[in-house]
Amino acid sequence: MGTSDAALVRRVRAGDTDAYADLVARYRDRLGRYALHMLGNREDAEEALQDAFVRAYRSLARCEDPERFGAWLYGILVNRCRTTGARVARRARRFVHDPAALETTSLPGPADQTEWDDVVRWALARLAPESREAFLLKHVEELEYEDIAQLTGAGVSALKMRVKRAREQLQAILREAEHV
Amino acid sequence: MTRLVTRDVVALLGGVLVMTRAVAQQTDARLERLDETTRPAVIAIVDSVRAAGLPVNPLVERALEGATKGAPPDVIVAAVRRLAGDLGRARDALGPGATAIELNAGAEALRAGAGPDVLARLRRARGRQSVTMALAVFTDLVARGVPVDTAATAVLALAATVRDEDLVEFRRAVERDIAIGAPPAAAASIRLNAAAREARPGRP
Amino acid sequence: MFDQFDDAVERVVRHLRRPVSIDPALDQRVMQKIAALPPPSRGVWRWLTARREVALSPLGALGIAAAVAAAFIGVWRMRVTPPPASAPDSALHGFQFVLVEPRAVKVSLVGDFNDWDATRTPMHRTSRDGLWSAVVSLQPGRYRYAFLIDGRHWLADPAAPTAGDDDYGAPSSVVTVGGGGS
Repeated sequence: MGTSDAALVRRVRAGDTDAYADLVARYRDRLGRYALHMLGNREDAEEALQDAFVRAYRSLARCEDPERFGAWLYGILVNRCRTTGARVARRARRFVHDPAALETTSLPGPADQTEWDDVVRWALARLAPESREAFLLKHVEELEYEDIAQLTGAGVSALKMRVKRAREQLQAILREAEHV
Repeated sequence: MTRLVTRDVVALLGGVLVMTRAVAQQTDARLERLDETTRPAVIAIVDSVRAAGLPVNPLVERALEGATKGAPPDVIVAAVRRLAGDLGRARDALGPGATAIELNAGAEALRAGAGPDVLARLRRARGRQSVTMALAVFTDLVARGVPVDTAATAVLALAATVRDEDLVEFRRAVERDIAIGAPPAAAASIRLNAAAREARPGRP
Repeated sequence: MFDQFDDAVERVVRHLRRPVSIDPALDQRVMQKIAALPPPSRGVWRWLTARREVALSPLGALGIAAAVAAAFIGVWRMRVTPPPASAPDSALHGFQFVLVEPRAVKVSLVGDFNDWDATRTPMHRTSRDGLWSAVVSLQPGRYRYAFLIDGRHWLADPAAPTAGDDDYGAPSSVVTVGGGGS
């Protein structure tokens, strides 16, 4: 069993910067999953994730409860994903114009698995950002509504409505996909 | 007397021809920016296109683009010649009444992969309304990775019933879906289904 | 938990819960960035956020309020200042072109609308984040264009459709202005 989040946070605050690398390694994949599904591609997800880690380090003094560092970090990532998502049209990205990149955006795997990946990504993309955010945090990251409320600033009732709407929209979208 | 008149007429005609060519060459001072090798070849293409009643400004702009980007003379001339051919084919498909803007958009659509029949069908679908936006949306969708057939089907399906603004919004919606990771063909097909359901019967 | 889920949605959730591997090189990039930062210290934050009492005369309070109001009005006026007036032609549409390029020293907007003359439409840097902007009046039509960065590098507009023909090996974008067929 490794060192707890709280112990690592205290060490970083005391000047042991290297201890932060353990926190990054611990949360990289899990938070990366949320960023990837929220933003739809690895390039943006990694940028948002990297940005979140740096911001978390800079504001580590404001992490009131080091025992809940993970949840606090989630909140920073949720905000980064919102900012990245809003900025995505203006940023100088090439991959959409790069035919080679278009060919490699599907995840590797059997043909039917790749097709399902495409459908899932496309269906998620069709959700409004706030619905997608609530759906992912509740059903994929499996957070409690009270925690999601703290991360997003939305009320629990509003969040439940967003998740319900997201489920209904996904059902409708997936039914449409069957007719393509 | 007769020989004198003939000589005079020949000289006069020759003078008129020389002056006409000089006027044609002087008409577009922008072509002075081309180098000594490129300029005469481009002028020749421009003159023949003008004589055919096709718009020449797209050709001048394409040549200037090449010059500014430092392209070699043979590349610039090839690009201008290719565009000239496309403009002619666009007029064949869209009809003699097509405007310069429509022809330019038609040339781009042909270059993007539209068959002449797609242009002709768009013309019929839009009636007397401009086909520029429909052609532009087709070309832009293909540029974003939507297969040619899918893009043509979408634009043809919408062209008869929706306004230019709706065509633009359709394109933007598909681009948004693609930018967030949706497969281009699926994005276009799904958005077409949704747009067809919501199409307003207003004048295009 | 999934009783009320459609089977397809349940399948989506299972798919999304699969572990994801992010490139471990991200760790190194993060550590490189924070190496340049001061260590996070609770002491400074505590000092900054500690409550303090400040004595202020009524005149002093009015002066501060007036300064804040003047600053707000100044910023507001900057934001609503319209772009340079375009030619008095009802068929012209003002188009704003925007590019984020923080490292550029100079950006030019170059295209069919200015005869591909790289000197005619310099873009203006409007923010420290590297946002460049230019407004051009355009008649209905379709225009190819690109950004020229520091007089050397051509960049297509990431927010616009790509021009299909890449005759010259440098990417261009297109903008279509509706409103007429002539």
